[in-house]
Amino acid sequence: MQTVQPWQRGRLARWDMRWDPDPLQAAMSQHAYFSKEGTSGEIGAAGGGCGCN
Amino acid sequence: MGCPCALHLETDTESSAHAAQASVVAECARLDRKYSHYRDDSFVAQIAANAGSGIDVDEETADLLDFAAALHAQSGGLFDITAGVLTRLWDARNARLPGKDEISAALAVTGWQRVHWQRPLLRLGDPGMRVDLGGIVKEYAADRCAQTCRDAGVDSGVVDLGGDLALIGPHRDGSPWIVGIKAPRAPGRSAARIELPRGGLATSGDYERALIIDGRRYSHILDPRSGEPVQSFASVSVVADRCLVAGAAATLAMLMGIDRGGAYLRELGLPHLTITDDGSVGGDIACID
Amino acid sequence: MGARASPSLSFLLAASAALTGHAPARADETGSEQYAGYRFNVYSEDVLSAPALGDPRRYKVYSQQFLLNTTIGNRYALSVNATHEVMSGSSPWYVLPGPGGKPIQVLSGATIRDHRNAATVALTHDAGGNDTTTISATYSQERDYHSTALGAERTLPLNAALTLGFGGSFSHDRIEPFDASLYDRIQRAEKNTASAFASLSLVLDRVSAIESGIQLNYQTGYLSDPYKLVSVGDALDPDTRPDRRTEAAWLVRYRRAFGENAALHLDSHLAANSWGQHSLTLEANWYQSLRDGWQLVPGVRYYSQSRARFYAPFFAAGSGPDFSSDYRLGAFGAAAANLNLRKRIDHWEFSAGGERYHATTGYALGGTALADPATVSYTRIFAGLDYHFD
Repeated sequence: MQTVQPWQRGRLARWDMRWDPDPLQAAMSQHAYFSKEGTSGEIGAAGGGCGCN
Repeated sequence: MGCPCALHLETDTESSAHAAQASVVAECARLDRKYSHYRDDSFVAQIAANAGSGIDVDEETADLLDFAAALHAQSGGLFDITAGVLTRLWDARNARLPGKDEISAALAVTGWQRVHWQRPLLRLGDPGMRVDLGGIVKEYAADRCAQTCRDAGVDSGVVDLGGDLALIGPHRDGSPWIVGIKAPRAPGRSAARIELPRGGLATSGDYERALIIDGRRYSHILDPRSGEPVQSFASVSVVADRCLVAGAAATLAMLMGIDRGGAYLRELGLPHLTITDDGSVGGDIACID
Repeated sequence: MGARASPSLSFLLAASAALTGHAPARADETGSEQYAGYRFNVYSEDVLSAPALGDPRRYKVYSQQFLLNTTIGNRYALSVNATHEVMSGSSPWYVLPGPGGKPIQVLSGATIRDHRNAATVALTHDAGGNDTTTISATYSQERDYHSTALGAERTLPLNAALTLGFGGSFSHDRIEPFDASLYDRIQRAEKNTASAFASLSLVLDRVSAIESGIQLNYQTGYLSDPYKLVSVGDALDPDTRPDRRTEAAWLVRYRRAFGENAALHLDSHLAANSWGQHSLTLEANWYQSLRDGWQLVPGVRYYSQSRARFYAPFFAAGSGPDFSSDYRLGAFGAAAANLNLRKRIDHWEFSAGGERYHATTGYALGGTALADPATVSYTRIFAGLDYHFD
């Protein structure tokens, strides 16, 4: 694999290329999935649990 | 730098102003020595002398070449640091249009794609090729000078290298500097004045060296792929965090011509001002007058 | 840069980074931009399609989120996130065997109405060159539920292309069910969760990057749902689950830019736990930038899980010791589609969108022999406004 130089990273640096472009929306989606599904969702530090059914 | 330069500083003591001034003069001299294509002892001349075999370049030159390569890619080949031979054909001092043969001869030694660039090794594809970093070094120098001033403890001031500005920082009371955007066709005058607290301002324009034959102006903005002058703005000015970025944006917009260049500037989202041959002004920089 | 840079400006900034002394941006950048955000979200569940008894008004949640991301000096970033939710509706209570052994879902008679308040504070130290350390604390509170979590994570560039991420978190939850004496529920219970995770992200080429990570979760304590009952023979017993659960998950994420105005996001997630459940999640999102600051983001998601060892809609007398008919422990699959529209005007960014989520046993991979009568389908709509500081 060829090293990608800093100047070649322009596209990688874009907002829409982030792992998580919109954390607020991701949090709300994940919360809905988490409360309805039996196995837990995202990788990363766990947020607070909830008593949601 | 081969252009009128100015340095405005606001400091507590005269001695710190002198120290900052000395650092600016030294930095400008260093970069001029290294990158001027007018000097036979410059690094650029050395690269040309080793066109066939190639040469290992230092970090700073490598970073500049990387940047030039990026601009070449971004502009689809319009920005080309090997276009110097071609540019000289359209020099006003020639007082005539170049012939087809001359253009094809120049095109044969033009084209970044012919350069082998694998950091740190630079090898020109043809002994007749030249690299000219003049299109980016002036803006780079302005940023460097502003930084040397900050390093010397001066936080307020403007570095002006022939109308390309890098701000050291706002006035000491925090108010912005009022700086001029140089006018096309009249480089000594300013087309507009704007407030700028920090960052950089650069203008790319069709000022000098333009060839006028039978009243028609042949700009020195050339398409290095065809060798022909580009019908473009008279000037493009851009404001950015760094003079280098502003200069690159302005140069690319000039090279792209009025339609594409205008769209590029809008997409870029940096404050800009365009002036066309008929004097009409476009862009979104808030001018004072 | 506070405001989000356009694609061509990002390019110029990245290209000039080495010369201007700005660190080059990367796909795995933590995104230390400064902005404030507000989101409003309405979540509303469908009426159950399976036979059900009781109040048919299913769950509805109104959520509001507030976020402030700010930098402190050159090296620190602070993120404060607050959520307020109002929930109402009836929820699955227990399942009765109906005629011919068909399950009938019984919903809680009384309408639940509760609020949830949650806040997360995260502090990130940036040592430069993408070497970041983040510590975070979260507190979430409902009338019957309190949760406290602490987390720490680090991202560490290994070379120009490869970045290591790792971290851990711990959370402590306390449950004090409503009407515990009235319904003979547990009075008070606790559970603890410990998590550890690690990931590697790799820049593949100029336009794509991939990340792979694993996560381990270990839970102990009261892991049942105090409001749920189970039909065991002729009796109704409290939902009873093992007091520990270990879970492992593997995640792969891929990002690829198409030209200057579009990007594809692919995410996959495999998980398995010690209760015998395993799951697969596949997600694809397309980020399309349009003219004049508009952006459209359509996406699809598929999820499938197998059932827990001790799940059944109802049980024969003498079953146990663990049993649950919580639909979340049954086998089902879910398909979701979502669409998000954004518009940037100077510092402001408006967003609005929705999601349709449809779950059914029929979507489960490999099918299932056991019914899961309370699988949920829902619709979400959301709108928001962000302000990006310069």
